[in-house]
Amino acid sequence: MVRIDFNRLRFLVIDDNAHMRRILRTLLHGFGTREVYEAEDGAAGLEAFTHYSPDIVITDWAMPIFDGLELTQMIRQPGANANPYVPIIMLTGHSEKKRVIAARDAGITEFLAKPISAKALYQRILNIVVNPRSFIKTKTYFGPDRRRNVSPNYAGPERRKGGKAEVIKQPPLLDKAKALA
Amino acid sequence: MKPPSTPPAVTTFADHDVIVPPNPLKKAVVRASPGEAAEPDPVARAEQALFELSGDFSRWMESECERLDAARRAAAQGFTDKTRDELFRAAHDIKGEAATFGFPLIEPVAASLCRLIEHSPDLARVPLTLIDQHVDGVIAIVHRNARGNTERKARELARRLSQVTEEFLAHENRHRPGYLDEADAPKLVP
Repeated sequence: MVRIDFNRLRFLVIDDNAHMRRILRTLLHGFGTREVYEAEDGAAGLEAFTHYSPDIVITDWAMPIFDGLELTQMIRQPGANANPYVPIIMLTGHSEKKRVIAARDAGITEFLAKPISAKALYQRILNIVVNPRSFIKTKTYFGPDRRRNVSPNYAGPERRKGGKAEVIKQPPLLDKAKALA
Repeated sequence: MKPPSTPPAVTTFADHDVIVPPNPLKKAVVRASPGEAAEPDPVARAEQALFELSGDFSRWMESECERLDAARRAAAQGFTDKTRDELFRAAHDIKGEAATFGFPLIEPVAASLCRLIEHSPDLARVPLTLIDQHVDGVIAIVHRNARGNTERKARELARRLSQVTEEFLAHENRHRPGYLDEADAPKLVP
């Protein structure tokens, strides 16, 4: 039996709506988290992300200055910050197909449609912590592997090109940043 | 928490890299031992915490209605990017909060207003009366939420507003075949 010790996780909640931030804070405290930081727009969110190094980011989509999609794209810049791999949960009232695909292609980790529920939020966090996904880097994408499952029924062409794999150990991004500083 | 301190494992293919970053979150995974007393259900704890907060929800929804009303008045002076965004965000927030705050009947009215704003190719052509009817509908349902016979009237109001909105959008988007079909694609998330 696996459970999460929420007391060991640090969250950053980014939402321009103070009521929704309070709801999220209440739910996260209810799970057992102590450290919940808040920001009210994308710009403040990016600053808080850099300052607090959260373990998990929960962001709204529609926000002033820059929105949750743009924020995700800024975080998912290899080398641009200390942790481009941070799990990002997009919490939004936008649940239309094209929106979900846009969020996925920006590099979010989990999508959570409003209205929010304690159970749905918990399940997203549990999935992030217990089943972390690999990251994929291509010319046009950097983010969690968008293929959550291998479908035995898929009949189309393999879009990823294979070839002999070569395993390269890369220095931590933090070391790179320190070297540049 | 410190950022990952060990290097990610990178497997390079012809046109993509597969990167397995260190998982700093595994520190939060706890495997219960056999016979260990069960922890209180975290979801139940969170739901209880939300319930204890719920006494504030009516007041919060009142303030959301005031925000929507102010945004409607600003938009009536003329649609700009700013007034459009403020009206959309106010309606969109209400749509997302309605069920959580205990006002599920306003969700379809707020959703209809969001669609009207989002999918009208020229907002200057949207009748202000139609926007007013949506905003007044949300406010009326919130104010009458505790009174009897509200549900049937609210559902009828939402149905009519949605019907008029969809007819308007179909007409306005008649030169963009397929646009609304794409917008109305089935939702991917519950």
